[in-house]
Amino acid sequence: MDYLNDADAARTAADQMAVCLAREVREGEFVFHGVNSPLPLVAIYLAKRLHAPGAVLIEIAGAADPRPRRLPFSTNDPRLCEGAAAAFSNPDAYDLFARGGIDLMFLGGAQIDKAGRVNMSYIGDPGAPKVRLPGGGGGSVIMAQAGRTVIWRAAHDARTFVDKVDFVTQTGRLTRIVTPLAVFEMREGGLELGSVHPGASPGEVAERTGFPLNVSETIPETYPPSAEELAALGEIDPEGVRYSEFAALRRVKR
Amino acid sequence: MGKLMPLSEAAALVEDGRTVALGGNSLSRIPAAFSRELVRQGRRDLVLIKTAGAYDIDLLCAAGAAAEVHSGYIGFENLFGMAPSYRRGVEGGTVRAVEHACYTVIAGLRAASRGLPSQPVAGMEGTDTAGLTGFKKVEDPYTGESVYMISKIRPDWAVLHVQYADEEGNARIDGGEFEDVLMSRASEGVILTAERIEKRAFFEARPERTVIPAFMVRAVVHAPGGAAPGSCFPFYDTEEAEVAAYLEAAGGEETLRAHLAAWEGRDRAARWPLKDSPA
Repeated sequence: MDYLNDADAARTAADQMAVCLAREVREGEFVFHGVNSPLPLVAIYLAKRLHAPGAVLIEIAGAADPRPRRLPFSTNDPRLCEGAAAAFSNPDAYDLFARGGIDLMFLGGAQIDKAGRVNMSYIGDPGAPKVRLPGGGGGSVIMAQAGRTVIWRAAHDARTFVDKVDFVTQTGRLTRIVTPLAVFEMREGGLELGSVHPGASPGEVAERTGFPLNVSETIPETYPPSAEELAALGEIDPEGVRYSEFAALRRVKR
Repeated sequence: MGKLMPLSEAAALVEDGRTVALGGNSLSRIPAAFSRELVRQGRRDLVLIKTAGAYDIDLLCAAGAAAEVHSGYIGFENLFGMAPSYRRGVEGGTVRAVEHACYTVIAGLRAASRGLPSQPVAGMEGTDTAGLTGFKKVEDPYTGESVYMISKIRPDWAVLHVQYADEEGNARIDGGEFEDVLMSRASEGVILTAERIEKRAFFEARPERTVIPAFMVRAVVHAPGGAAPGSCFPFYDTEEAEVAAYLEAAGGEETLRAHLAAWEGRDRAARWPLKDSPA
């Protein structure tokens, strides 16, 4: 599963991640994604196309339940508001979170620990940081308020999944984490392996995770994308927004 | 005295050391031309307020114009990655990052807009953000619940790029408002840059769509393309190649100067009144 260098592996991983995230969306739920969230964006529209047509997206670009003609690469592009019958500003969206109106949010994370705490702020001492990360966006407030939070991260390595984060930007009702290799589930003792994607093994995943995982039990394999899911993905996201998180597939070199 | 003025005069209103809230979000409807003009004029020690920022904030950090950035997120999203100059400034100790959530920036602005010293927010429990930034908790006098209070954020200036303004400063925004309207209420003064200057009748026809009334506004600049290389719905999209070119240029003094020079023509092309002026 060399999703870092092999374009085919990266495409497979991105498709798998998109469908895993889509399967988290339940019919009728109020759903939210943040800035810099291509995979969740695609996943939400995939869920709305397939099993959750009544899910309501509170679009961070400023609309309630829009119907964009195409998905752009920036996840707060104003075109994401196309087809909406109601504008809904950022402050309005955060207020909705605060009064318990969002069921599911998708969140990124630069560093995540076994307890499900997320660092988006600093590597090293915040007073003299080794790396200044972008910051958590709305996360420190809204992760505590969403009914549940699902994290995705287009990398699976021991730098990301650590024993203890350097800085707690946000924490809340985390239920699952989706990576290119596996799905973590939050259980009583912290994060454990829920399933491992086809092509990866529990041993490989444990090796590439910086906190201890129990791999003695049988870990199920993640359901691969169905033909229906793949066909819908192609229709919703013909330009490959979902691939933009993978270095091997990046459109703009950086 | 009229409020309509060239970009250079409006930028000169913002003095060194002032606190400036920049409108728009990420690469959408940002006051980009205005930010470039601040840099050309050699502004220093600015305190910048933004929920989620990219080009404008990074440019001001690259040029050494920013002393502090109070924000929830500064980055160029996945397509372009982290904000290099902001990052370098914070890591090198020349820029002070004041860690916020977007919602705590909003709460601080709301406090100022409502004439309050602070404003409560839900959430923040269990984070290091609250401790690092120094958000303080109080007990709600009715329920005993503990709640974080966010100190007011009262910018000297809100600098907002809008689609439509008139010469007096009435403004209409199409598409996402982000925090622009709130910033206009929270700040001491408002400077508008606008894609189009319309007659007063344009605003009289739909006064409920005038989200910023003229009496709040101190300066209006006709700045078509003023959000570029970011987008301004529905007039233009983000110029990806130009964003990438900026990120290449941001690291060096010479290349940054060349970037500003390359944009100068575009930034100063607008003159009002135009020959076909409706005014």
